[in-house]
Amino acid sequence: MPRRVVLRHEPLIFGIIGFVLVLVAWEAAVDMGLAKASLLSSPTRIWNAGATDFGNGILWPHLATSLLEWCVGFALAIVVGIPLGLALGVFRRLGKIVDPLLSALYATPTVALVPLVILLFGIGVNAKFAIVFIEAVITITVSTMNGTRSADRRHLETARSFGASKWLVFTSVTLPSTVPFIITGVRIGAGRAIVAVIVAEFIAANVGIGFYISLNGSLLNASRVMLGVLLIGAFGVGIGIIIGRLQRHFDRWRPAIN
Amino acid sequence: MTDSIMDRPLALRAEGVRMEYRDPSTQERLVAIERIDCEIREGEFVSIVGPSGCGKSTFLKVVNGLLPATDGEIEIRASGKGQDHAMVFQDSSLFPWYTVIRNVAYGLACQGVNKKEAAERAMPFIKLVGLEGFEHKYPYQLSGGMQQRANLARALTVDPEILLMDEPFAALDAQTRELMQVELIRIWSQARKTVLFITHQIDEAIFLSDRVLVMSARPGRILADIPIHLPRPRDLDIKRTPEFTAYEDQIWRLIAKQLSVTPSVDSSAA
Amino acid sequence: MTSANPALRPVRNPRDRKQRSSYERWLRRNENITLSLVGIAGFLLIWELGSRIGFIDEFFFSKPTSIIAAAIREVQIARFWTDVRVSVFEFVVGYLAAVALAVPLGLIIGWYRRLSYMVDPWLNLFNSLPRIALIPLLVLWLGLGVESKIAVVFLGAFFSIIIPTVQGVRTVDRRFLDVAHSFGASQSRLFTSVVAPATLPFITTGLRLGVGRALIGVIVGELYSQTQGLGVMIIRASENIQPDRMFFAISIFTFSGILAVVALRRVERRLDRWRPKLEEG
Repeated sequence: MPRRVVLRHEPLIFGIIGFVLVLVAWEAAVDMGLAKASLLSSPTRIWNAGATDFGNGILWPHLATSLLEWCVGFALAIVVGIPLGLALGVFRRLGKIVDPLLSALYATPTVALVPLVILLFGIGVNAKFAIVFIEAVITITVSTMNGTRSADRRHLETARSFGASKWLVFTSVTLPSTVPFIITGVRIGAGRAIVAVIVAEFIAANVGIGFYISLNGSLLNASRVMLGVLLIGAFGVGIGIIIGRLQRHFDRWRPAIN
Repeated sequence: MTDSIMDRPLALRAEGVRMEYRDPSTQERLVAIERIDCEIREGEFVSIVGPSGCGKSTFLKVVNGLLPATDGEIEIRASGKGQDHAMVFQDSSLFPWYTVIRNVAYGLACQGVNKKEAAERAMPFIKLVGLEGFEHKYPYQLSGGMQQRANLARALTVDPEILLMDEPFAALDAQTRELMQVELIRIWSQARKTVLFITHQIDEAIFLSDRVLVMSARPGRILADIPIHLPRPRDLDIKRTPEFTAYEDQIWRLIAKQLSVTPSVDSSAA
Repeated sequence: MTSANPALRPVRNPRDRKQRSSYERWLRRNENITLSLVGIAGFLLIWELGSRIGFIDEFFFSKPTSIIAAAIREVQIARFWTDVRVSVFEFVVGYLAAVALAVPLGLIIGWYRRLSYMVDPWLNLFNSLPRIALIPLLVLWLGLGVESKIAVVFLGAFFSIIIPTVQGVRTVDRRFLDVAHSFGASQSRLFTSVVAPATLPFITTGLRLGVGRALIGVIVGELYSQTQGLGVMIIRASENIQPDRMFFAISIFTFSGILAVVALRRVERRLDRWRPKLEEG
């Protein structure tokens, strides 16, 4: 290979080397008996576990339940969080009144509320909806509110100097400058919501991917635990890509980064 | 020329305008503008020059109604046809999320004109400032000079009685700035607007204006009202004539005194 | 030209301005604090009164005075302090281990370009995994005791710190490196005079993010399986339906979260004195 090509693709080439190296070492260590397969698993064992559990259909109800919990809770968080954040940002005084409460909630690791929510809603999906909602709505609301407040003074002055009505100021200045913040809030909220689903299913559930992981943990089946964790990771990455697309759609008016 | 201007109706009258504000950290009362009186007649191009921070931009914001004056009176001619006044801001005041055409039509949208009609009415002004073909670009895709052209078109579109320009070329490089000065004269002579222009560049003020008001350092007040008797139409060559340099000298002496830098004479008053 | 008698219209007459009393001015000046206090007081009052008149279900949500009473009772019990000690121990050991490993490793990985390319896929993989989901695996490896909790805290904080650190080293402005090179700086001087100060803000950001992750690690680890700790206190209180004790335990996490973030913001600002201040966004 010519040297120039190697240099240009250096990150990719070294990335693949690093990735494969670890996988091979892992597999070899377990196969040679340096580590117990039941504890450490190995790439092929994880693959086989996936093939088995997808093949016999065991995984589907778990995935479907978790997905439902995430979707409902998260959709509710978006529907409530964005308008609430906008309102708290636009009505500045109202926003300042609830500011300390929001900051406290924001700083609270809300997973600490999981036992309370389960106490209220039982161990079914309703509790999971509530937990996902709480986890995501705080992030989305706070981020949206901060975005509303961050509108550029020059743009607001421009609008006022042309005699724009309050509503027009909102739609032509406040809203467009808030969009990136809303998307950031949605992105972080989505991640937190995934954590919420898993934690809730760890603590009280009889179906769901979190339950699948914790069940297989107690059955000393490391391969299935890792499989579950990887599936969640893949879901997170997928959601990240979708939100990235969304962001690019809303960001047409900004120079592309890179 | 001056005589004919004096016969025209007043477009703007400011009397005893004073502006105080409270320093948000120390709560001290500070005076931004001590006293400004001025009269501008219809179709006149008037510049205000002064050292940085003398309150000239503040005065423009007061005229624009963006800031309240502490004392004094400002009146603007209201003919009822277009908007009373429109502002051309320093820079980055275009909305980055709107295309050029929507930015230029923004003032009309503020008056409740529907989108399609606003775009139609904005088009001639986009042509006037020489941005034809760029109407569907976003601001980040334009150079600084082009952004200020769009900024100017946006103000002209609302057909204001008086155009308020707040150092519109301050962020441009020297060559673009001169080019834009020539362009502004061309556009002004076609649009026939009253202009109140704020700048800290002395040559820019002389080149563009019928009259230059020189402001003192903060707290701001008007030091001198200098009519510019240079023939129109003007081109850049005029900047090298002795008449032009004489004006430059005169104004620079006034401002330099304020900066406590001595040009060549007089170091007593600083 | 046009009419000889111009119709002039006043722009915002100053005489129409409202005169404010000194009381109103004081309120405006201290608006932020006043409104915050109103918010907190209002929230507590609604909670308390709502609970007393039965508008809020006291059975589940308790009320502020009961929570304070529970707090006073708890702090006199030895068991509570054991719980606190266990949680603090898990947090401190896990977090400090994460800092001690993530910062130097991050600096090294960021400095050696090819090494960073090799490690990148794994960093990205772990960063996109919810590390909390690894708890069952950690319990499998380390047992139900304190060790697995420390590991959870460690994993939570480690990646939050190492990723910004690597990024910080990698994004050091080339111009500063060029300046240092042109003055003939040695590698070690290059590192201490350019790389370290330029990376510091990234590290402190990582430290701040890591605190949140570590706290979540403590709670979830203890909720998952443990016999001692504040997370266990929450679980036990919920099983016995003692919402006052539960809210007391939750509020400890809230306050420590706020405290840690405020403290690290301070540090961040102190280390960042040379940077022009940005508006809080």
